[in-house]
Order: sequence, then structure tokens, then C-alpha cells
Amino acid sequence: MTPRESQHLYWRAGFGINPTALKTLPKNRTQVVAKLFADSKVVTPISIDLSFMDGVTIRDIRDNPKFAQELRVKSRKKLAVLNTAWINRLVLPKELLREKMTLFWANHFVCKDNHVVFAQKFNNTLRIHALGDFKTYVKAISKEAAMLKYLNGKQNRKNQPNENFARELMELFTLGEGNYSEKDIKESARAFTGYNHDFDGNFKIRVKQHDDGLKTFFGKTGNFSGDDIIDIILKDKQCATYISSKVYRYFVNPKPNKQRIDAMAEVFFKDYNIENLMRFVFMSDWFYDEENIGAKIKSPIEYLVGIVNTVPVEFEREKDILRIQKVLGQTLLDPPNVAGWKGDKAWIDANTIMVRLKLPSIMLNNAFIASNENDEFRKQFFKKKKGKFPFKTQPNWERFSENFKIVETDTLQNYMIQGPINDGTADYLEILNKSSKQDYCIQLMSLPEYQMC
Amino acid sequence: MDRRKFIKNSALASSLFFVPNFVKAFESVTTERLGYKRLVIVQLAGGNDGLNTIIPHNNDLYYNARPRLAITEDIIKLTDDLGFHPSLSPLRSLFDNGELSIINNVGYPNPVRSHFRSMDIWQTASGSDEYLQSGWIGRYLDQHGKKPYNAMEMDEQLSLAMKGEHFNGIATNDYKVLYNTAKDPYFKNVLHHYNDTHLSEHNLGYLYQTMIEAKSSAKYIFESTKVKSSQESYPQNGFSKQLRNVAQFINSGLDTKVFYTSLGGFDTHANQDNKQTRLLSQYAESVSAFVKDLKQNGTFEDTLILTFSEFGRRVKQNAANGTDHGSANNVFVIGKSLKKAGFYNNLASLSDLDANGDLKYNIDFRAVYATILSQWMNVSAEGIIPVEQKLLDFV
Repeated sequence: MTPRESQHLYWRAGFGINPTALKTLPKNRTQVVAKLFADSKVVTPISIDLSFMDGVTIRDIRDNPKFAQELRVKSRKKLAVLNTAWINRLVLPKELLREKMTLFWANHFVCKDNHVVFAQKFNNTLRIHALGDFKTYVKAISKEAAMLKYLNGKQNRKNQPNENFARELMELFTLGEGNYSEKDIKESARAFTGYNHDFDGNFKIRVKQHDDGLKTFFGKTGNFSGDDIIDIILKDKQCATYISSKVYRYFVNPKPNKQRIDAMAEVFFKDYNIENLMRFVFMSDWFYDEENIGAKIKSPIEYLVGIVNTVPVEFEREKDILRIQKVLGQTLLDPPNVAGWKGDKAWIDANTIMVRLKLPSIMLNNAFIASNENDEFRKQFFKKKKGKFPFKTQPNWERFSENFKIVETDTLQNYMIQGPINDGTADYLEILNKSSKQDYCIQLMSLPEYQMC
Repeated sequence: MDRRKFIKNSALASSLFFVPNFVKAFESVTTERLGYKRLVIVQLAGGNDGLNTIIPHNNDLYYNARPRLAITEDIIKLTDDLGFHPSLSPLRSLFDNGELSIINNVGYPNPVRSHFRSMDIWQTASGSDEYLQSGWIGRYLDQHGKKPYNAMEMDEQLSLAMKGEHFNGIATNDYKVLYNTAKDPYFKNVLHHYNDTHLSEHNLGYLYQTMIEAKSSAKYIFESTKVKSSQESYPQNGFSKQLRNVAQFINSGLDTKVFYTSLGGFDTHANQDNKQTRLLSQYAESVSAFVKDLKQNGTFEDTLILTFSEFGRRVKQNAANGTDHGSANNVFVIGKSLKKAGFYNNLASLSDLDANGDLKYNIDFRAVYATILSQWMNVSAEGIIPVEQKLLDFV
């Protein structure tokens, strides 16, 4: 396995890899891939301090609207803490692939809840099943308090079925649009009636609200439960194809390739084991084809975490981490809607491209990108800014120097940039003064090419 | 800058760079098709309580439902039935001049009472059971836009409303910062060396192209905006600053057809009175200054201002002297040549509420959009508003 292939793998299965770590990787593909899965065997849940909810009962909230409102405010503040905890988790995690998969599933089983206890619980459920059995996964998701709230599962009652969850279960979570009928939605919604959760977010069925009559779903008739519906859906191979297609577009190439997706679906349909599916992808020769390397536009989170993995940064104000996500267009725990972030080209518009190109220098170098005609600009810039910068950060260049010490400055681009560099830009890089590895790192990070992985 | 000069300059700008074919497709759309009319959108985020904004001051049901929250004093009575919240007094003259139309009971079928979901619905013009990933202004740009600055949002980030399938508007809360960023010599050099003619269909080509677009938009906005600031005095707040910027852009003759602004904080579950009073006066004072500014510069007659909120609030007050999420709400339209000024329609019945105790809607918000597109912007609503709407008669 070439270093370039390993790097490619680590960008897709994680958030990049530095030259020193790259050097310690095993030499053949089987071993590298095996290591990825071995490292992700364990599940480490995220657990932030939620003691503000200790001892609070449902009665306290019902009887005291003012207190309830205060709790809502606290909960929202804690969501920001959870967001930061998640970002910090993504920076060089031990369970690298599991965390990358968690991020992927968070944009598949899309959900949002302002109740931080439920939001954290949901997030950890994503993490627990991220490489496990897809069937168990879907069932667990259908019973999450946050999801029951988000898609009106709680309001789904025997005499007043709410179809929201049933529709998205098929349209977005398992089959894709058009692979079911309106009647299937209505009948399956009946099977999920009575789903609810208690005050702590544990699932419970309200038996009286559950419709236990006969339902006809996908041509089968029976007294189906929600779990039965999920079993029936997954018997349709379309589900394996739909998930494979999404995995392909996220992990391999945003342009789908039918033949390869079908091959993935064959593997996945056998047992719906996510780990087996991912192993198949990472072991396939085509995964390492030139056309797939550097073909993907980094998501804002991949982009941000990738920068921080290259040059560790401490933010003096935690809210800056949120602000960066916001201006880049992807705030964790705050998806735009149940369809999630559209991804790929949709990440980039006139604003986000400018923010992205400028961000590395803002975070790491006082907003300054060295270039050959910099002096005048720099003077002007500092005069105007009066030393004020949008983010207060402390970059750790020593760590960068350690991790990159085995790399000569003029070959740094091989480690920083995944795909090909546009010819003209490559010419420009040639003429840059490369006396400072630090400057050159910022310069490379400020290229459109660095947006790709 | 006049139109002729602008065309000359943009031709010059585009000859500096290789322009991929897919961008050229946009060039074929002439600016004339965009028309001359401008739309300014004001989003009151959080769900403004429409009932305490336009007050049914002669209705016992209103007072009964809100024993401690109903407005009883200083109501600006406009008709026998309806009046303004006292904070809206700066808008009184607009109302009297026939420059304000208030459309009551605007909403959509099966209303969703979640902020973000309902905001999505308003921004994408979708039904309550569908998820669109492009906004209505974005789709307008897809069909008629040419440059990102044809629609501008006064914020750091772009709302869904402004994102099209193929084309996006531009967001900036400080165009000078945007310009300074874009003119970084490093970026200039990178683009100067950009010479690859085969990248346009690929993601990397798209990135370069967007970078070129962003740079030229920032340059255009910066250089076309007259430095001379407005004579009009605006109140000191963030929302007002947004409108002042919009006025500056409009009065400079920027080729921007849609401006998007927002004022947040309307989620008044508890102690609504003070909060709403403060927010509504910020809104009314700022809008009033904005209109005066436009009038002074002769740009008011080509400008329409649309104000909406993602939902109204429950008719009955809650135990915390606030109101919970409701459904139908009023929409304000401000402009010079309104066909029907004043109250466009009556307030829905306060005795015939929906199962949640909310006002029933009788005007679909998408009909408001469709009307603005076809009657004001002079473009077909087809392909922009997903479901065909019966047009209204306010403009």
C-alpha cells in the first residue's frame, strides 16, 4: 500500500493523517484496514456534565413554567457544550472509523432536539451502532426520544395516526423516495402508534394508544409492530442498494457508480452488517482508483477537524468553534431539516469559499497568508484591523513541526493536498519562497485544492 | 454606477479569467429579465405574536383569552376592529398614506409549530409534508439570476431561502470585510495563475469558479456602493444596521433585486410584553427610517418590503404571561403602488380556532410569494413556487 493510498484511506475513514503517523502504519492493505476496524472495536460514549437536570421531575416542569423556561435556556447552552465535546472528540479520536461513521449516520438518521439529555443520548446511539447491525440500528433509532419528538412519533396515536416518522423511515432512512406507496405509509404509521418515551428519554409503549388491528404492508397482512415493519422493509433489497449508494457517495465518490454500488449492495444485503460493508469498500481496488482520490469536497466539519489535526489549535472562546461551524454552513446537532445537509457542491457558495480559504490563516496565523507581494497588504491589514481578529486562538506549531519533521518543506504539498493541483497553481507554488514550513503550510491550506479530500 | 458602465466593467472582468461553459449559460440571461423592481424581505425570527401586533381591540374574545397579556392602552386604532401595537406608531403614516398593506391569516395547511421546520417551509415554499433543499429566492436566481449579488442577505451566512439548485445569492454583514478578504494578494495570485481549461465540470473547477465569482461580486459590491452615507438617522441596533446597508446598496444602484434581512428574538413563551414591545419598536423605527431614506433618494417606488414570521402564536396566553407556538399570522407589505392598501382582509374568527387553539389560515403564504413574483418582479412563479397559486390583489 502506497503512502498516498493510506492517506486517501485515512481521509475517508477519518480526518487525514500526519506524516509521522503515516510512517508507522503497516505495509499492506489488509493490515491497515484491519487496524482501522480493530481501533474502533470499543465504544466511548460522549458524556458531558448534565447535573443541572439532577432531581428534576416532570412535575417541576409542569407546575412551574418559569422554571421550565430556565431549564430550556440551560439546555440550549449545554447543547453548545455538547457540540464542542463532539468536535473535540473528532480531533484525533482513538476510535477513528467509528467517529467518522457516527458523523455519517448523523446526516442519515437526521434528528435535532433542543433537550440536551435526549440529544446526547441520540448521539451516543448513533455511535454505538455505527459499525454494527443495520437492522438493530433502525429499530433503536425508531425508539429514540429525540426522534420520537422530531418526527412526531409521540403524536402518533391509534385514533389520530401521525405519518411523519413512517414516511421518513422509508423515504430517507431505508428505501429512498418512490419505493413505497402512500398506503404503505399509512399502514406502517399505524404499527408505530403508541410509541413514546418517559421523562428520562427511555422508550415506552402506551398500550392504549397502540393500534393492534391488522395492517397490510408491502403485500403482507398481520398485526405488525414497528419492529415488524422495519424487518419487512429490510427484506427489500432496495434498502441495501439505497444505503450502499449513500455510503458510496460519502466515502468513495460523490458521482455514483452503479456497478460498484450494486456490488456493495450484494455484500450488505447478506446480513446488513455495516462493518462488513465498510470492509468491502476499503479493501476494494477501485476505492484507491485515481479518480476517487481528492474527488470529494470536504464537509465543513471534515475541513475544520482536518486543519486542527494538522496544526493543533486551542480556542480561547468555545463559542468561536460554533461560529466557525455556522459560517461554514454546518453546525453539528443543528441540521437544516430531516433530509440533512445536501453536501458536495452545496457546501460551497460565494461566502463559504471565501471563509474557507481565509480560515486557516485566521485560525493559525493572525489572518495573514504570506505571499511574494505581502508587505504592503500586511501593513494595511494590520492598520485597519488594529490587532482585532475574529477568533482568539492559540495554534501549537511545535506539534506541527514534530509531526511533519520527516517532511521537507518543498514536498509538503504531497501531504497536505490529496488530489491533483491545478497546473497554474502548481506553477505559482513553485515560485513561492519556501524558507518557512509554517508559511508554506498556511499557503497550501488557503488553496481551493485543500478543500478536496 | 449606471447600467452601461456596469456591463462594460463586467465584460472586462470576465475576460480576465477563463469562464467555464456552465457559467456562460448564465451569461445568456440578460439583466433586463431581472426587471427593475426590488424586493426587501424582513424575517421576524422566533414567531411574532400577530395578535398583539395587529390588535382586535373591539373583540371580547381577545381580551378573555389574554387576561394579562392583551394590550389595553395606547392602541393605535386604525379601523373599528383592528389597531396597531403602540410600538408600531412609526408605521402609522405609511398606513395613512396607503403604503402599507396588512394581510391577515397567512399560513399553510397542516401547520408545523416547530421553529426551524416552519422556517424551512416559509423559506423553501414547500408544503408542510415535503422537504425542499432550495429556497424560493434561490430558485428565482436559478431562473433569472446572473451574479451572486443579484440577491443579497445582510448576514454572515446564507439562509436556505437564498440557495438555489444551481445558483446562490450572497451573504455579507460587512461588504468591506468581504472585499478585503477577497482581495488578499495571495488569492489574486492564485487566480492569476489559474489556467486549467478542463476542470469546469469537476468539483475543483467548481471551487475555482466560485472563488472567481465571489471575488468579482465582492469587488462589484465594494466599488459600486457609494461611500456617502445616508442623511437619514437610523436607530442604533443590529437590525437597523442591516436596513441601512440595504438602503445604501439600493441608493447606489446595485444590480441586486432581492435583499434579505432578519430580526430575531420573537420566541416569547414567558413575559412577552416587554420583549415584544422592544422588538416591535426596533422593527417599526428601523423600517420607518429605511422608507424615509429610500424616499429621499427616489428609490422607494421601485422597492417592495415584505415582512413575515414563521408562525403566529396561540390565541390564549399561557401561565407565564407569554404565548406558545401558533399557526396563521399577519404579513406586512410596504410599497408605493399597492393595489390594496390598509387591511387586505379581515382577521380570522377568534371563536372558530383549530384543534390547538390557533387561528385558522385562509391565505397561503405561497400565494403571497407568487403574487410578488408575477405582479411585482414580473417573472412567472412557475418552477419557483412548487404548487400553482391563485394570485392575490395587493400589488
